[in-house]
Amino acid sequence: MKFLKNLLLVAITLTCFNCDHLFEFSVYEANVKSKQKNTTVKNLKLLERIPVNSKEFKFAFISDVHFFYDQLKTTIDDINKRDDILFVIFGGDIADQALLREYEIFHDIMSSLKKPYLTVIGNHDYNINGGIIYKKMFGDYNYSFEFNNNKFVLFDDIVWESEKELDFDWLTSELKGNTNFNQVFVIAHIPPDGDQFTDKLEQKYRAIMSENKVPLSIHGHTHNYNFEEGAVSYLTAPAVKEKAYNIVAVKDKSFTVELIEL
Amino acid sequence: MKIRNLFIISLLALSFNNSYAQDTISVKEKSWYVPDYVKAQFAGNIGLVSVGVGYQLFSEVLYSELLYGFVPEWASKANNIHLITIKNTFPIFRKKIGKNLTITPIAGFTTTLDIGTNSFTTLPSIYPEGYYVPTAVHFTLFGGALIHRDFKKPKTFKGVDFYLEFGTVETYLWYALATKEVDLIDVFSADIGVNFYF
Repeated sequence: MKFLKNLLLVAITLTCFNCDHLFEFSVYEANVKSKQKNTTVKNLKLLERIPVNSKEFKFAFISDVHFFYDQLKTTIDDINKRDDILFVIFGGDIADQALLREYEIFHDIMSSLKKPYLTVIGNHDYNINGGIIYKKMFGDYNYSFEFNNNKFVLFDDIVWESEKELDFDWLTSELKGNTNFNQVFVIAHIPPDGDQFTDKLEQKYRAIMSENKVPLSIHGHTHNYNFEEGAVSYLTAPAVKEKAYNIVAVKDKSFTVELIEL
Repeated sequence: MKIRNLFIISLLALSFNNSYAQDTISVKEKSWYVPDYVKAQFAGNIGLVSVGVGYQLFSEVLYSELLYGFVPEWASKANNIHLITIKNTFPIFRKKIGKNLTITPIAGFTTTLDIGTNSFTTLPSIYPEGYYVPTAVHFTLFGGALIHRDFKKPKTFKGVDFYLEFGTVETYLWYALATKEVDLIDVFSADIGVNFYF
C-alpha cells in the first residue's frame, strides 16, 4: 500500500514538473502557449539584427516535416554548423493532422535552430483547427519581408483546405515595387503544377511571376526535389523525411540553388 | 372536450402502469440497459468535462462507459468541441484500505468521435483517395488509481469512486515511440473523475 502511495506521488510530481500540459481537454485544442505565439514577428526582429556587409548571402529552404521529427533535427543541426546560411525559410506542412501537439513539437525542435526562421502555411496545417493554431503560433498567412535589399513574399496558395480564393491581388501588389529591390523571391507551399492547382490557376500564377520578373518561386508539397530553370525558375524542395534541403545563394542580380543530402 | 378527457385518462393510466413497472424492477434485477453508475470526468483528451453512464461488465472485470465531452470556446481557443467517447477501464486488483474503502489500480483505453469541428470520418469528395487519414476518431490509453467508497446508508447512491489517471493519445504515443525528439513523459497528461453508483 505504501509502495502504491509513493508510486502515485512520484507519478504526480513527475507529471506536474515534466509534461507539457498537466491537463488536456482535446486533441483539437488551439490553446497556443504564450511563449510560442507570434513566432513570425519574433523572427523578423531577429533577422533585422543580422549584420550584412555584402550583397551576397545564403538562406536555407526546408519543407514538409509532417511527423519526421528526427530528420528535422538532423537538418537543423546541419544548418547550425554552416555559418554561411543566414536564415531559414520553411515551406509548409509543419503538422500532419494539424494538431496543436504537432505544432508544438515543431516549434520546440526549431527553437534549437541558431538562426531566424520564417514559415509559410501548408495544406496539412489548415485541417481542423490548424489554421487558427498557425495564425496564433506564427502569424499572417500572407506576408513579406525585406533582407539586404531583397524582398521575400510568403504567399498562402492552399486551395482545397483553406476554403477561400487565393489572394492574387495581394500577391500582385506585393510584387509591384520589384524594381526597388535587387531581386524578389516568392515562397508558397504548393508549386503551380501541383495537384491543387487547376490549369487556369497555374497560368495565372505563372503570369504573375513573369510579369513581375520574379527570378525564383520556391515550393514544397510534392516531397521531391525539382528545379525548373527559366526566366522565372521554379524550385521544389525535398521533404524533411529525405534528410535533404536546399540552399539558395543570393547574388547581386542572380542566384544559385544547391541540394544538400545528409 | 371528450378527446381531451380521453387523453388525460390514458396519460394517467400510462403513468400508473409506469410506476407499477418501476416497482417491479426495483424488486427484481435491473434491466440490462439500466446503468450501474453515472459519472463525470475532468480532462483526459475526452473533453474539459465529460459526463455519462457506466456499466460493470463480466462480474466487474470491465467498466464500460458511454460519455459526452465538451470543450467550450474559452478553453479550446477555437470553436466549441463536442466529443462522444466509449471508455473501457480494467480494474487490475482491489485492495481494502479501510472500512467501506477500496483502492484499485486501473488501466484502459477510450475511443473518441469528434462530432463538432471540421474533422471527418470519410474523406470529403474534393480530395483524391487517400489524401488524408480520417481525423474524427482518436484513441487514448491511460493508467491510474481508483478509490471506491460504499455508503453505509444508501439513499440515492450506493457508493462512489474517485479516480486519477495519466493518459495519452495514440498519435502522441506513436510520435514518442517512433522518434527520439519526442519524450514519452511529455505526451502524458492527467485527468480526474468521479462515479456514483445506483
